[in-house]
Amino acid sequence: MEQSIKNNSQTVSLLISQSRTNTLGNKTGTWRFVKPLYQNKTAPCSNVCPLGIDIAMVEMHTAKNEFEYALDKLLIENPFPALCGRVCFHPCETACNRQFLDQPVGIHHIERFLGNWGLNHRIKFDRYPSLNGAKIAIIGAGPAGLGAAYFARRLGYTCDVFEKSIAPGGLLRYGIPSYRLPEDILINELQRLSHDGIQFHYEHAFSIDQLDTLKQHYDAIFLCCGDSQAISLNIPGANHVIDGLYLLRQLRNQDAPDIAGTVAIIGGGNTAIDTSRSLLRIGCRPIIIYRRSRNEMPAHIHEINAALGEGVVLKECLAPISIERQSNQLDKLTLQAMKPDTTVHQGRKRYIPDTNLTETMSVNYVVSAIGAEMDMMWHTDQWDLCMSHCRMKNMSGMNLFWCGDLSTSEKTVTHALASGKQAVLALDIFRKHGISAIQDNLQKYQIANGPALSFERYIQGEGLHAKSSELVQFNHINTAYFPTTPTHTPKRLPHEICIQSFDEVVFGYDEFQTVQEASRCFNCGICNDCDTCRIYCPEMAIQWENNNRHILMDYCKGCGICIVECPRDAMTLEVEP
Amino acid sequence: MKHVLEGSHAVSEAVRLARAQVISAYPITPQTHIVEALSEYCADGIMDARFICVESEHSAMAACIGAASAGVRTFTASSSHGLALMHELLHWAAGARLPVVMAEVNRALGPGWNIWMDQSDSLSQRDTGWIQLYCENGQEVLDTTLQAYRLAETVNLPVMVVLDAFFLSHTYEPVDVPDQASVDVFLPPLNPRVELDLNHPNAIGQMAPPAYYMEMRHGIQLAMQSVLDHFIDIEQAFETVFQRTYGPITPYHCNDAEYIFVMAGTSVSTCRHAVKILREEGHQVGVLKLKMFRPFPVQHVRNVLQHAEKVIVLDRNCSFGVGGIFAQEIRAALYACDRRPEIYSYISGLGGRDVTVDHFIEMFERTTKAHKPEKNSVWIGLNLEQGS
Repeated sequence: MEQSIKNNSQTVSLLISQSRTNTLGNKTGTWRFVKPLYQNKTAPCSNVCPLGIDIAMVEMHTAKNEFEYALDKLLIENPFPALCGRVCFHPCETACNRQFLDQPVGIHHIERFLGNWGLNHRIKFDRYPSLNGAKIAIIGAGPAGLGAAYFARRLGYTCDVFEKSIAPGGLLRYGIPSYRLPEDILINELQRLSHDGIQFHYEHAFSIDQLDTLKQHYDAIFLCCGDSQAISLNIPGANHVIDGLYLLRQLRNQDAPDIAGTVAIIGGGNTAIDTSRSLLRIGCRPIIIYRRSRNEMPAHIHEINAALGEGVVLKECLAPISIERQSNQLDKLTLQAMKPDTTVHQGRKRYIPDTNLTETMSVNYVVSAIGAEMDMMWHTDQWDLCMSHCRMKNMSGMNLFWCGDLSTSEKTVTHALASGKQAVLALDIFRKHGISAIQDNLQKYQIANGPALSFERYIQGEGLHAKSSELVQFNHINTAYFPTTPTHTPKRLPHEICIQSFDEVVFGYDEFQTVQEASRCFNCGICNDCDTCRIYCPEMAIQWENNNRHILMDYCKGCGICIVECPRDAMTLEVEP
Repeated sequence: MKHVLEGSHAVSEAVRLARAQVISAYPITPQTHIVEALSEYCADGIMDARFICVESEHSAMAACIGAASAGVRTFTASSSHGLALMHELLHWAAGARLPVVMAEVNRALGPGWNIWMDQSDSLSQRDTGWIQLYCENGQEVLDTTLQAYRLAETVNLPVMVVLDAFFLSHTYEPVDVPDQASVDVFLPPLNPRVELDLNHPNAIGQMAPPAYYMEMRHGIQLAMQSVLDHFIDIEQAFETVFQRTYGPITPYHCNDAEYIFVMAGTSVSTCRHAVKILREEGHQVGVLKLKMFRPFPVQHVRNVLQHAEKVIVLDRNCSFGVGGIFAQEIRAALYACDRRPEIYSYISGLGGRDVTVDHFIEMFERTTKAHKPEKNSVWIGLNLEQGS
């Protein structure tokens, strides 16, 4: 660059170095040996979401008051946000980077608000393409079957859903009490599947032998029948026990069983909690009996806390050994004290009887909630392909997919929906490229290193929504941009009120809280147009043109300030060859 | 109109009246009150100025340099470690010939950690190309700050207005705060000679190779050499509006004095009392107050001191290995005189310790009794005598 000495010949000498022209001639890009890139990365919340929802993007749109875009981002990966916002165990919040600054973002409350907002505003979902001619049969209209129908229809498949009961929903309808999932929300969300190309057939149960009759009509059959067989207590007097899931179904049918007084509920999972909280609401005194300690209960912690807060009694480290019917409505329950053993079984600490310590208690009823298992007719060990959330097998010319509880060990609504998604993608890849291509192809659409899959990328191609599989770590967040603010806690019914009815306990966020809470999101790994990079570039090498930021490589000297300043790790420094 | 103001707020009032447009600072005791008041003026809309909060003094000066390069009137304030952290950019502001004005509250540097009055911080910056003006009281602080803008903008050099920690910054005195109209008469809006222009982008402060650099430095020295004349002109203009004047130096009873004290800052006031007492005892003694330290007013100092027998210099600072800094400057200024008084160098009042009338009388007595000055500066008021 040309230098000049400027001498303003006034009274006081003034010589400074000053260029005659602008600095465009000074191509500082020649100094560079590393270069910045705009590169979206995977947020830890998306990585652990079984459905792989692009949560950072959902929160970004929500924070900008763009609810319709935010809802669309949810619906791309999840058919039922209003429902999942209520019943999902939200591992996203456990992984949320914000927790290391103050508290995680209330992601599930935001999802719930957006889902409700969509229902209230009757936002029409119009991402169903025209039918492609292929047809599938889905056995079971629970979460896995509904998920399969939704994603299959979105690829153009004609779906026939066979449900043995009189209405869709499965566990959503019959297993989850309405104080957690109100019926109108369920019905309204399921409306999303009322579309040309998805046909429900109720009171239509199938046995494995009957599948042959479907063979000639369908290109594939999805087995989504869930764990329908309650596991029974194997103790003397077990014939007096009421099944927890049966009880919940009766309650949901508004067919309250004739049951009162003290009820012992055996088990420590979500069914035990749901059953005991429901019993409390019909006037019983529920006591949960669990063979391990409270910390080892498989039920979600917030559900356990809610149950105990409402007045459910928990007796830990006790296992039933016999039930004696003493009169028509009185059982003598004998319990064995349990203690932890040093050995571990299937990843959990074993509990063994604590010598001869036993106790008895008189209860009016005993309810078993120790889980359910699949009908043995669906059991097989011979698979053509085992995937994380579904299994595939060709049986006498039929392509069968085992979905939901039939194939996953994590038996939650969200995993079941994810299982439907995975099975549909596997089928589509299979039909295009054959069975050997499935695993490799699925990998392309994984969120980070999987197993969750991005339906968005499958449909719209990788380029548009490409994200590096690198996870955004908290230490890559520039926390200078995020003042600490506590999370918003939604109102809930007081314990003494909520046990008087099956009304929904948690109220959820209002619009203001939703936007505020979404604004707490770091938007890990995605560019939200904050423009910090452009403002801080010392060479003004970042330009905003045609609705896009681009870096003028003639001037970018590779200083990395943009990368350091980026609040959310949406840029990467790359060594140049 | 007279207000009872602390010295810090006398600065704030002057900056408000000077219509500074960009203020950037980082808080540090004992300077904080100055920018605290200014930040409120900015927030309340009393001043039409941008207050830029920064994470360090280095950045505060950088912000002032950027704003001054864009041709606006700027202000910052600092002290002690904060000023030390600015050091690199003090050179830049002067080298870029930007008329930045700063209030510098004299405070000691640690360790030991000390927030009290000491001249080491500003004197450590004497070679950065900044004009340094030391003040004695609240009124002088206000007036000097107004003069500083006009001076800086005339010679295109930055000005440091220096005031003693606590003795001045936190002491309330009656101060005449002039009205805006009078100040506007004295201080017209900045007409920058250096100014970035968005319509004609160019770069300033770039590489100056050996063929150019020296002339730029010579330019700074020439500008410094012109400061004294400009300052006297500016003071005359100031006097016509405000009827007050100070001068680069202020002699007190020096005309017939055999012994003359020399110092800067608030201790001048104490020393005047000592001079009165000594005069009553029949001693021919005076005190010379130094206001301007950079550029050093050599001829003015010579004119006052060359006829004295002995000159007693009080330094509230120490250049370790040499001694009092003012004493050295005085020695250098008088060296070329035909007749030179002896220079007695005393160090006292470091880190906020009081320099009392008794201390001045002790200095006077030691000086009058001595046949010639000690080899090293003599420390007065020590609590602990240590071996050589």
